[in-house]
Amino acid sequence: MSDTPTQICVAAIGGSYGVRGEVRLKSFCADPIAIEDYQPLVAENTGESYMITLTGTIKNGFTARLTGVETKEDADALRGVRLMTDQSRLPALPDDEYYYTDLIGLEVLDTGGNRLGTVKDVQNHGATDILEVLTSGSETALLPFTEAAVPTVDIASGRIIADPPDGIFP
Amino acid sequence: MSRSVWKGPFVDAYVLKKAEAVRESGRNEVIKIWSRRSTILPQFVGLTFGVYNGKKHIPVNVSEEMIGQKFGEYSPTRTYYGHAADKKAKRK
Repeated sequence: MSDTPTQICVAAIGGSYGVRGEVRLKSFCADPIAIEDYQPLVAENTGESYMITLTGTIKNGFTARLTGVETKEDADALRGVRLMTDQSRLPALPDDEYYYTDLIGLEVLDTGGNRLGTVKDVQNHGATDILEVLTSGSETALLPFTEAAVPTVDIASGRIIADPPDGIFP
Repeated sequence: MSRSVWKGPFVDAYVLKKAEAVRESGRNEVIKIWSRRSTILPQFVGLTFGVYNGKKHIPVNVSEEMIGQKFGEYSPTRTYYGHAADKKAKRK
């Protein structure tokens, strides 16, 4: 894996709010208000950097003030812009906890070294976390993210060793 | 109105039979079930069920805190792919 910091999308601008240059901000963070901890945020399309100040809550998000955005016209121009942050800004996690962004894209191998697929997504429906593994073509398999089913996670070398229960992979 | 206590929890008979067979054999396998309405019983703890959601079987590792819930609660029928952002997965 490369050493260059990966940019991850943490929010999107919904448009202007009011007439004084505030914007409507939709946070994608697990704890929505944590968006303030990941500053500065970078616009995906222009690469411009912004510091944000949350000014209130609205349906589906927050109202916020961005540095350099003073008028409603400026705010309107940012509608739909996705805001990114460096993955290195995310706090370190204890053992056995991983960011979804770290897991997505890892290669999945079985205990014999045979390739099973690539992690496409991570889901959680209330039980354990589940890795959605893209196998050949567009087929996916759901692998429980447990010690038994996934004994090794090696993010540095970009792979996961899986010992899946029978019936998970076709 | 809630279910009468004297009846006990509802579980489809085939779920009990399959779970018992896997537990006795000691095999590491996903028990494929279609019964979303069955209650999760204490004897299911530690087993992995593949609960059908109308399209595929979602793996559900049964733990103690899930006892008394229904299987269907852990196998949503609609999928929403949100943004990963800073979301975390814990290996249990």
